[in-house]
Amino acid sequence: MYSATLHIKLFFATTLLLIATSINAQNFGSVSGTIKSSSGEHLPAVNILLQGNSHGISSNENGNYSLPNIPSGKYMIQASYMGFENYSAEITITANKNTTHNIVLEEKNIKIKDIQVNGKSTTTKINEQAYTVTSVSSKGLLNSTASAKDALKKISGIRISEDGGLGSTMNFSMNGFSGAQVKFFMDGLPIDNSGGAFNIGDLPVNMIERIDVYNGVVPVWLGSDALGGAVNIVTNKQLNYTDISYSFGSFNTHKASINTAHTNTDNGFTVRANAFGNYSDNNYKVYVPIRDGNNQLLYYKDTKRFHDRYRSAGLKLEAGVVKKSYADELLLGLMASANDNEIQHGATMETVYGGIVRNSRSITPSVRYSKQNFILPNLDINLFSSLNIQEQEVIDTLRGVTYNWLGEAFYSNNDDGELSRTNTKLNDILSSTQFNSTYHFNKEQSVAFNYAYSYFNRDSYDSEWPDKIENSMPKSLHKHIGGLSYQFENHKWNATVFGKFYALTANTSKLFDYALSTERTEAITTHSQNFGYGAAAAYFITPTLQAKASYEHTYRLPSADEIFGNGLTVDPNPDLGPEQSNNFNLGLNYHFRINEYHHLNIGGSFIYRQAKDLIYTVVQVANPITYYENLSNTKTTGVEANIKYQWKDIFSLSANLTYQDITDQTKFIFNNSYSGNNYQTNYHYGYRLPNTPYLFGNLNAGLTFKDFAYSSDCLSFNYLISYTKEYYLTWSKNDKYIIPKQMAHNVELSYSLKNGKYNISANCSNIFNSRLYDKFYLQKPGRAFYIKLRYTL
Amino acid sequence: MHLNFKSKLTQLLAIAFMAGIFTSCDDDNDFEINYGSGNYGITMAYAPSDGSYNYTYRTVRYESLMDGTLNNINKGTEQLGYFSYTQINDMIFSPGGLELETLETIEDVSNDELRLRTNSYSFNASIVDFVKAGTNTAVAVEMSSSSTVVRLHLINTNDASVTSTTETNSSLLSPYTGPAYSGMAVSGNYVFLSYYVSNPTSFATDYIDKAEIAVFSYPELEFIKVISDDRTGPIGGFNTLSGLMKDDNGDIYAVSHTNKANGYSQFNENAGILRIKSGESEFDTDYFFDFNADGDGNTTAHLMFLGNNKVLALMNTQNRAEQASWSDAPLKPAILDLSAKTINYINDIPEFSGSGRKLTAIAFQEDNYIYLPVGEDDGIYIYRINSNDYSATKGALLECNFVAGMYKF
Repeated sequence: MYSATLHIKLFFATTLLLIATSINAQNFGSVSGTIKSSSGEHLPAVNILLQGNSHGISSNENGNYSLPNIPSGKYMIQASYMGFENYSAEITITANKNTTHNIVLEEKNIKIKDIQVNGKSTTTKINEQAYTVTSVSSKGLLNSTASAKDALKKISGIRISEDGGLGSTMNFSMNGFSGAQVKFFMDGLPIDNSGGAFNIGDLPVNMIERIDVYNGVVPVWLGSDALGGAVNIVTNKQLNYTDISYSFGSFNTHKASINTAHTNTDNGFTVRANAFGNYSDNNYKVYVPIRDGNNQLLYYKDTKRFHDRYRSAGLKLEAGVVKKSYADELLLGLMASANDNEIQHGATMETVYGGIVRNSRSITPSVRYSKQNFILPNLDINLFSSLNIQEQEVIDTLRGVTYNWLGEAFYSNNDDGELSRTNTKLNDILSSTQFNSTYHFNKEQSVAFNYAYSYFNRDSYDSEWPDKIENSMPKSLHKHIGGLSYQFENHKWNATVFGKFYALTANTSKLFDYALSTERTEAITTHSQNFGYGAAAAYFITPTLQAKASYEHTYRLPSADEIFGNGLTVDPNPDLGPEQSNNFNLGLNYHFRINEYHHLNIGGSFIYRQAKDLIYTVVQVANPITYYENLSNTKTTGVEANIKYQWKDIFSLSANLTYQDITDQTKFIFNNSYSGNNYQTNYHYGYRLPNTPYLFGNLNAGLTFKDFAYSSDCLSFNYLISYTKEYYLTWSKNDKYIIPKQMAHNVELSYSLKNGKYNISANCSNIFNSRLYDKFYLQKPGRAFYIKLRYTL
Repeated sequence: MHLNFKSKLTQLLAIAFMAGIFTSCDDDNDFEINYGSGNYGITMAYAPSDGSYNYTYRTVRYESLMDGTLNNINKGTEQLGYFSYTQINDMIFSPGGLELETLETIEDVSNDELRLRTNSYSFNASIVDFVKAGTNTAVAVEMSSSSTVVRLHLINTNDASVTSTTETNSSLLSPYTGPAYSGMAVSGNYVFLSYYVSNPTSFATDYIDKAEIAVFSYPELEFIKVISDDRTGPIGGFNTLSGLMKDDNGDIYAVSHTNKANGYSQFNENAGILRIKSGESEFDTDYFFDFNADGDGNTTAHLMFLGNNKVLALMNTQNRAEQASWSDAPLKPAILDLSAKTINYINDIPEFSGSGRKLTAIAFQEDNYIYLPVGEDDGIYIYRINSNDYSATKGALLECNFVAGMYKF
């Protein structure tokens, strides 16, 4: 525990240091005003910049702007807006005083007919980075009953497979990489810091501004060891807003969220709060065999799931100051979350449980600091530190009871639990610190240095097996990941080269001489070090056609659960090493307009991956306990394509399609049977991975009517079809083992009043009540209805 | 439309690119299953590359087992998981293991067909063994060292239905935790079930000073008693299911090896074969085939009765003290004579490593020939053993990770 205590101390020391810095202040004033066109119209979203200070802001919907906390002195104020002449003027900021400066913009004297206004939203700018990145704005989803997961599902190349309904285990995969190979971040920080309920299935879409999906090459500044990509969820950063929503629907599902931010423009003090709660009985119908007490099959029936309730709640609070001279952002945060999950079945629906539950609680204090021009001009830094304290419980304590799918219990003299008798408590501490710095040589060139360190410690105890030896052994992990990158950017090029360093130290235990008289468990320490590197470039061939290419040689360090096991069904493997991959991506994106009403965007990318030492679950013969091992090699070649058509603001039609050929490239496999410990021929060499869809896509059509019945109201209608071609359940190419083609239709109708202040939406998913399956033939919910009410301020 | 030539060209290229992507995606045609034909059958197992136990078991018919290279890849019936095989009459019974609790059958094998059927009955635990009892009956057993009960099922072999089931507390078999199944045979009015005590967590075998067999009534399957004999150690071993066999007269033979190579952590008694005479329910005190006194000290965990007192045995040629734990190696086939107590090695077959599975499932007899798969360095070959002159001929190469079943239909 010495090390854990040290980390807690370090965390608080960092916090105090940053607070102390904040007391040292200068003399400040502010400037505010209104921006109008020469015809007297109030202009919203005009970019205003104070030259020599780098402070900037956009005017609000009434054309007002305000720049607080400007060190006193003379500045050039600049304003720019599409279709208007640029504006600049000199102003003087006086200490402790607000200067009023109103601006009138002159319209450009050019016939609009020949102009294509290429105003770029944030998501467009993200999409144009050198990385293969897709950014989705939550804008179109805010009124929907969606979670972050549903927003992600619409992106090409992405599959999210689920064991069941709300709260069920999800497996996110991107071009064949899945699980921990794809890292999740919230505002640039690894999401596993956040505890159980802060995951993509629970996060309400209203908490999110946009989601950036990095396919393959992961930017250095994310400071991580992702293998196949990363997902960064960017939460709403507006200074002042309130968004309250509640949705309810089928399977007794309720989701509520409150998201709010308040900023005092005079002193920069800001408070942000996100709170959510989710509940569902997940009692959707499944078609399953009904067995009697003797396990005799009686008949097949559509019956409701009976032990699958899920509850979760989360609270994220951040308070501090923004836009101060000493800090662009200095925020102290606190996240708390809890969830409680009933387990209905195992990896397949063959086994049904009626008593197994899992739950978790976590609390995470954090501090975040960012500053542009830190000490040196053009040096930007940001620092984040957090301490996640989590308690998890897994309870399987019913003895001699088995359930059938009707929820009927049958009793025997058996002393076992339903799965594996246990009552395990895992107490985890994870402290993470991430430091990013960027130095801009000039407008075009910059270097960035990034360093992330994390420390993990686990104490576990099983009250059903108090003497379990692994639980008395140390379980701690130190990870260091450093990165250095160079970036070049101008109006045509966007390019980066980078190197990464990975180091891992694990203190754990190892079982020696399994099933021999000398069998013993000993504490051991292992180290590993690796270097990764890569490059990415994007080039505008024409102003509307961009090409991208990227390559990365990357590693992923094993996770805590993979090294230490989960205290239940997964044994530790102290020898587990990093998995590695070579990723190559090539992409093209093109958009054009046919007159001012029709806008078309076409994009496509090619993917090639070679991965080895993949971390796999090993199931041993005659042993229900599994562990992780570095095993096979795979190769992925794939293409993705997306197309979007937009007519005015009224109609849109978009489609994407992903084809990924993920094949097994392992020539020899380890023979794990009890009598053999040798390598043997892999007769499935070159075969496509089972349980992994290889052709899938989405089609989305939307209609939006503004000022539908009243002025400033809006009615919109969305229709989504998602398609997955049939794929194999096993390594064979036998028709019997095919997961059939899936086609799901979803429809959504939403109506908002007063510019989106009051909103109501209704959603019907799986309209045709199709029988939908996931990997291993897991059944998904049939037709379901949801209503969502939302209020924003 | 104010588009210049260059942008038209780019649009065209973009559309062509998209079209290429959308049309190149559809491959993989439908697949016709090839079950093969002929009077022989092989179940070959294929390992998954993810290191899991989800092997793919495929059964295909063959005309000949002695020529060329045979593989079952993408052919035949297919089962996924862990399965064992027992052919009785017109059906192959294939209970699932390792969490699979179903009984599958491959049917109509005599009509030049293979039809896989999953029985409607799912058991409380995996069926560990399946033994022929009467003309149309078999006994199936659920038993593991971590369970507190032994369940016996009487199976109708015509339709694979369960006729009756009994449950016996395993404390009646042994006062110690963890009696583990090692073999079963049915003779007259008795079901004999052999076991050894193995610690469910460490697999240590702490009680090895006598042979023990549980006796049940047949066809009632009610527990009667436990018989024991201290001339040798426990009967049978881990997973080989060959502890007991029945000869032409209904006599039961029980083998004790206490091999480290087959799941024992220690040994102290002589290895050998005991007998229970037909109609009796006690060990025959006059009979003991002592592998030390009568043989060369080599032991065996794999036996298959051939007829006329002859038995195919896979002899472990290493001294028990030197055997590698759990290795099921090194093995050499031999023909034992139970009456003359002789051992004749088949010298045409090189030493090999066993797969640790039931010998009667992976080998079969046709007249005086025995077909046996043998793993060599460059693959698994079928050998045809002549039980008269102890010679063997090398046959087909099998492309698979192991053989789970071989049949003569």
